[in-house]
Amino acid sequence: MEISQRSQLFKGILKGCILSIIKMQPTYGYELSMKLQEFGLPDVSEGSIYPILLRLQREKLIIGEMRKSDTGPNRKYYQLTEAGQMQLAEFIHHWDLLKQPVDKIIEKGGN
Amino acid sequence: MLNEENLAYYEDMLIYIRLNANKSEQQTEEVLFELLEHLLHSQTEGKTAKDVFGDDLKSYCDEVIEEIPGELTNNTVKYLSFIVIQFLAIISLCHGIIGFAIHYFFDLGESSMTFQLGSGIVVIVGYLILLYLFIKTILRWIKGTSFKKKKTKTWVEFLQVWIISMVFIGLFILFPIAVPSFGKTINLPIITFAGVGIVLYIISFILNKKYRITN
Repeated sequence: MEISQRSQLFKGILKGCILSIIKMQPTYGYELSMKLQEFGLPDVSEGSIYPILLRLQREKLIIGEMRKSDTGPNRKYYQLTEAGQMQLAEFIHHWDLLKQPVDKIIEKGGN
Repeated sequence: MLNEENLAYYEDMLIYIRLNANKSEQQTEEVLFELLEHLLHSQTEGKTAKDVFGDDLKSYCDEVIEEIPGELTNNTVKYLSFIVIQFLAIISLCHGIIGFAIHYFFDLGESSMTFQLGSGIVVIVGYLILLYLFIKTILRWIKGTSFKKKKTKTWVEFLQVWIISMVFIGLFILFPIAVPSFGKTINLPIITFAGVGIVLYIISFILNKKYRITN
């Protein structure tokens, strides 16, 4: 499971999910990992989001901003950029194209 | 507050991630801050750093480092010039003051120094290369000490650093002797080097104030 989790496909999907969650509202790292778990994404190691967040920032799909939180400490909140919105729309489009045929194929296979 | 176990893990990660001089300092500090905050949260749920970041902390840190953007080259150039100027200032100042003092108080050595311009330039360039190698070696040594399951004994660590330092000090002494003489001969009173050192130091000081290099 460990190796397949780190596969390109999984990384791409995780990236899409992260963009999707950030789109709902500005989110900070810990909150993001909690949300991923709440949605039941299986066994994503919590820390694995940070390299991805760094990469998304480098690709200018999200921007991070240190802000005071309501409870006190500074937190880095992430927001989608315009390029991020477009990337997310693209991800959703590709995902829709894949999802149904894959589901059907698996069903036919009697799994 | 981190408990003892997590603190030890986090300190290793902090040192290991910070030691990458060519990475954006701001991004580095921000991600370290995020990792700390995450760990603090997870600790309240009874988790350790290994539960959060995976069993292989070193390769996790490598993953993080790889994604941190490189520092703006402009800043790197400023920082390097500052280091070079200050290093030359200290070498020149020490050379001038010690040479002058030995001659003046103990009547040893010359009150002026004769050297060849070509060899002098080679020696300065060689010193800068040695300095670079020395810093690289020490940083690599520190990196090597992170994520050790068993702590190395302090005296062993001391001995390792001592040997590295001795080798480099030896090279610093041997290098000017090994360089052949060539180029125009120049004769300067030895106290001139102190003057040059002070001027270089003032330049590095002004650069630092102006571009806020060390803060």
